[in-house]
Amino acid sequence: MKLTKTAKALALAALVGAGTQLASTDVASAKTADGKWLIYLSLSYSGNSWQSEAANIVKALAATPPFKDTVELVEVISGTDPQAQISDYESMIAKGADGIVSFPISSTALNRVVQRGCKEGVLFFMYDATVTEQCAYNISYITSGFGENTAQALVNALDGKGKIFLSRGVPGNSVDDRHTNGAMHIFNQYPGIDVVAEYYSYWDDRTTQQETAKALAAHPDVDGIWAQAGEYGAIQALLQANPNRLVPVTGENSNGFRLALANPDYQAIGLDGVSAGSPPAQSGFAFKIMMEILNGTREPLPEGQRNIEYPLPWVPGDAVKLCEGDKFENGCNTFPEGKVPSSFVTEVFNPELLPELSLASALEGKPTEGAEIQPLPADAVKAAPNEPGINCRQCEAPENLYHLTKVEPTVQP
Amino acid sequence: MQNEKTIASAVAEQEDNRATAKISGEFVTIAAIFGLTFAMILASRAISPSFGSWSQVETILYLSSFLVFCAFGQGLVILVRGLDLSIASVITLGGVLTASLMNGSNEGFLYLVPAILGACIVVGLISGIGVAYFRVPPFIMTMAVGLIVYSLCLGFTRGTPRGYPAPLLSGFMQDKFLGVPAPVYLLLAFVVFGTILQSYSVFGRKLNAVGNNPLAAYIAGLPSGVLIVSAYAMSALCAGFTGMMLAGYANGATLRMGDSYLLPSIAAVVVGGSSILGGQGNFVGTVGGALLLTALATILTALGIEQGWKTIMEGGVILFALIALREQSFAFLREVLGKRG
Repeated sequence: MKLTKTAKALALAALVGAGTQLASTDVASAKTADGKWLIYLSLSYSGNSWQSEAANIVKALAATPPFKDTVELVEVISGTDPQAQISDYESMIAKGADGIVSFPISSTALNRVVQRGCKEGVLFFMYDATVTEQCAYNISYITSGFGENTAQALVNALDGKGKIFLSRGVPGNSVDDRHTNGAMHIFNQYPGIDVVAEYYSYWDDRTTQQETAKALAAHPDVDGIWAQAGEYGAIQALLQANPNRLVPVTGENSNGFRLALANPDYQAIGLDGVSAGSPPAQSGFAFKIMMEILNGTREPLPEGQRNIEYPLPWVPGDAVKLCEGDKFENGCNTFPEGKVPSSFVTEVFNPELLPELSLASALEGKPTEGAEIQPLPADAVKAAPNEPGINCRQCEAPENLYHLTKVEPTVQP
Repeated sequence: MQNEKTIASAVAEQEDNRATAKISGEFVTIAAIFGLTFAMILASRAISPSFGSWSQVETILYLSSFLVFCAFGQGLVILVRGLDLSIASVITLGGVLTASLMNGSNEGFLYLVPAILGACIVVGLISGIGVAYFRVPPFIMTMAVGLIVYSLCLGFTRGTPRGYPAPLLSGFMQDKFLGVPAPVYLLLAFVVFGTILQSYSVFGRKLNAVGNNPLAAYIAGLPSGVLIVSAYAMSALCAGFTGMMLAGYANGATLRMGDSYLLPSIAAVVVGGSSILGGQGNFVGTVGGALLLTALATILTALGIEQGWKTIMEGGVILFALIALREQSFAFLREVLGKRG
């Protein structure tokens, strides 16, 4: 009796499977039993503010009407090993995923499984990090020139000369390489700029603070710091070494850093700089584009043109504006001290692309009361340039790869 | 006359040999570790003129204090033939609890500190009971407990640790007393306390006995189970304390704050002359090991070389310290030189 039941279930499953196979030839169709889209959120590791904010944004959007009733979102955390993410992708494909929103662990190792998934009709949307497989969509700020723009801003602040530190990300990571190459493209043009120490801070505040403290022991006379994420730690290390002297620092989007940039006391003792870099909001943007394609309100892009650029946030000290509420409203871009931890990454909101979100979305994955999913503006999707090894294979980078978009040189080399 | 002289010098030599033989091997290793650290700091002047200065020594003492705190606990566990892989997670636990419970205010500071450290001790008790009474291998037991504690931190914070440590704590970490950072005094007091506890107290002697020969200790009537559990509890207490201090230093917590201390804590213990197999060790040696590792990292950070080379050099110096700075090596050297002389 039991056996026949199992056999029946198996046969039924086979039938359903065959049905979805057929259906997947036109864009896609809802595959869960209750008619919802089955979407997987595949993360690398959860353990820093950035990763959890990006994941929370997708969770909050999926719980906002009408997605609340049309999307079944399943979160999977794969750790830091590409092999684990490959096998997680495999099982998502096997379970009949309609779409996978993912932070990819490797830009190349996932290509084969992504390609296989595409053939099964699964939509792949990568945010922040990228894959070089052409059938996946890459939604990333990485091509928007963080490295070169912040480097030029630092050079401008230093008048073209001085000793600087480079506080980098994770060794061997393609994102870290891209940022540093862009920055060195600028620094190399200025013989007066002397990179006296270069260290890896693993995009972490505390590691940045300790590594910067070590570098400061050798070079207490440093003139500026070019940092990737973790930049607030660099400011803490500077203050620890000498509470009466700060130097220009460029970095990413932590709330503590933005508050420091706008602090008149800090400005008076030498702090200057700009906050730019990776916005967790990319995940929400990726998810919304994917849902519009699934729902048929947006045309899928042809393969080979699926790299979409997320605009680079750019907030110099004089542009820091405190938010009064729980959203980015009236052009504000930073939260008052105490409202969020200093390592909180501020760029979780985007009033144009993601008006549905509020602070509770980013911190806890909760939908905003009364919010409904708004369609993306017509001009929201902007193609990203090719970058070999980052978002394409066997392709050529444009000649002006490192051209400046946010800042003009004020000093000539 | 000639003969007399040789006899006299031979006698003198013999006496000399006896004198060196009186110095314990442990002392030689510890002195060599501190000597190497000191030499490295002096030699680093060649890299940067600011090196070799008092302010560099201050930075090294300051940064190594975190490693010293957690390596003390690790050393006790290694002493009783164990290994504590959970300290990274317990450091995170201490840091996360400090930031979230204190929440930027001094209110309740006096009872929050023991409460947070108490929570960490509970973690150590669980590891210790698993190892001592359920005979789970320490490697597996502490790894499992570490994973569970880390996941609890992840769930508790939802990925974003919030809050700030009490201003009393963060203020202490920034404070200077007579021109020296306050945590350096704490470090010195801790070293004295740790040395007495490990080498000169009854408790420390008992731990040594259990590590040296658990069977003999058992026959001698020592409660080896209780002693092993207390070593793990001490380790968790030290790790939690490290996390608390780190949160004060960084004015907040991150979930990965403990990661960079796990392997260095083991390395500091072993480089400092303790046996990884247990039963032998001295906390002063561990402190030397921690100072050596921190000084090395500080100097390497300032070198403008590729990350790969930095890591290779780091591994090379650790190996050198382990192999060359052993009393056996010195005995060998003495023998060779003696023969030549």
